Amino acid sequence: MYLYLPVALTSINILIPVGLGLAVGLLSGLFGVGGGFLMTPLLIMFGIPATVAAATDSNQIVAASTSGTYAHWRVGNVDFKMGFHLLIGGFVGGLVGVQAIKILKAMGNADFVIKMTYVIMLGVVGSYMFIESLNAIRKSKNKGEAVKPAETKDNAFTRFLKSLPLQTRYEKSGVTHSMLLPIVFGGFVGILAALMGVGGGFLMVPVMVYILRMPMHVVVGTSLFQILFNCIEVTFLQAYTNHNVDFILAVLLLLGSTVGAQIGTVFGRKLKGEQLKIILAVIVLVVTVKIVFDLTLTPSLLLAQAGGH
Amino acid sequence: MFNVQGSKLSTLFILLICMAVLLVSGTASAKLTAKANHDHIKIDFFYHGNTVSVSGISDPGTDLVIKIASPESHEALKEKGKVGGLLWMNVGTMKFEHVSNLYSIHSTKKLDELLTPEEMAKYGIGYKAVEKQAVLDPVQNDEEKAKWFSEFIRFKEKSKLYASSIGNIETKEKDGEQSYYILTQWPYQAPPGDYLVTVYAVKDGKVVDQAESRVLVEQAGIVKTLAGMAKNKAALYGLISIVSALGAGFGVGLVFRKGGGAH
Repeated sequence: MYLYLPVALTSINILIPVGLGLAVGLLSGLFGVGGGFLMTPLLIMFGIPATVAAATDSNQIVAASTSGTYAHWRVGNVDFKMGFHLLIGGFVGGLVGVQAIKILKAMGNADFVIKMTYVIMLGVVGSYMFIESLNAIRKSKNKGEAVKPAETKDNAFTRFLKSLPLQTRYEKSGVTHSMLLPIVFGGFVGILAALMGVGGGFLMVPVMVYILRMPMHVVVGTSLFQILFNCIEVTFLQAYTNHNVDFILAVLLLLGSTVGAQIGTVFGRKLKGEQLKIILAVIVLVVTVKIVFDLTLTPSLLLAQAGGH
Repeated sequence: MFNVQGSKLSTLFILLICMAVLLVSGTASAKLTAKANHDHIKIDFFYHGNTVSVSGISDPGTDLVIKIASPESHEALKEKGKVGGLLWMNVGTMKFEHVSNLYSIHSTKKLDELLTPEEMAKYGIGYKAVEKQAVLDPVQNDEEKAKWFSEFIRFKEKSKLYASSIGNIETKEKDGEQSYYILTQWPYQAPPGDYLVTVYAVKDGKVVDQAESRVLVEQAGIVKTLAGMAKNKAALYGLISIVSALGAGFGVGLVFRKGGGAH
């Protein structure tokens, strides 16, 4: 059955957005990512204008992350204090990132910087997570027990972190950090996310795992909480200033994604932290390879609608 | 006396001119008519494009060209190019002036066999005529213009907004008249607006007559309400979108409560 989308000005078979929503919602519940880096290009592939695809995706992520945060909160996997501090950083970072895009556009090389940032960040994050979690899985097999990587390491970096002011205990995550740490790294992710036009979940998750040393399951729940607030803000701004949110498309997507997020949460609890990390790493690397192919192969059309990356 | 005779002569002269005009226009056209069956397409919730048939009567033995087009406007599209000789990405914006967003042309024979290039340019018939009147920016020379215009056609044809066909117009002769009929697919990608259908009767390389019909495409019902709200009540629309998403997220969360909490 086809439905007409009033803002995208196109008609779509309802199975496509519902199916896409289900798949991306599943990833959301499993890994704590919004999935914008997958959903937006897929929607464009199915004929949705780039600007509408990005804006509407943030609207449906509000639903998927509400569903996911709720499911994770019920099993005690959301660190609200940490999420709040990350949000402060992310909000400021987003504002800085938007200004950076304006400067880059004025300099005339915005697209190049954005594409390169995307490929490098995805590639580095994906490779690091893949290698690290592969090592962790090997070690745990050898020892016959799960290991807590790096938590016991006392290197110069961790000593530096401990020396920072405003140290505070994050009870749910079981870690003590300076509250400046999540604010600064949240800000860093916020800048990159604004530059790349994505929510930044796939960057925030590694920051929480490797820098903030949070347990993977709490990372997923807290990341979703943080994404929820970011996407509420983005949806409102997109609807208010750009008129790009398609309500009907968002409803079709969220029909799938809210259910997917719940299923993902249930599955996620059956997997170990290392297993979750390595699957996410593989997905990030596959997306990286796809982007590299897109960049190097001659496109079928040399003209495209304005608005997308 | 002289004056009366003079006025009679001038009246006669005017009458003769009027008869001549009537006769000339009579031989060339009188019979060409055009009608689109769906002259008012409503875009509602379940809209997935439509079919539009154009039919009418023409002089026997004339060839026909049918053009369906939206009013000329301008478009700005992202232009892809190679950076550093290796990476494809958006390198700028190409502006197209005096082009229609939707343009489809159907003819009984190949356009080149029916009309001279001058005649096609005069009436805006065929992609070549569209190219001639289009202004592209930035292009350095005609060669670059031709390259980017052909990319424009490929882009438009892919989104179903440009189309051309030869030999799909059915014609039948009966009682000294020729009736014609064509069924065209109306793409759902065509936005709301007023579209002009022009039928040209062609003989000996020239357009000898033309007739017009209109197709109005409008949004209706819930589609119209939502599209209007997104534009005119953006803050409320944004809030409704957010609240609905939050509600749906919580709602599904509650439904799955048992499943999620059991593990």
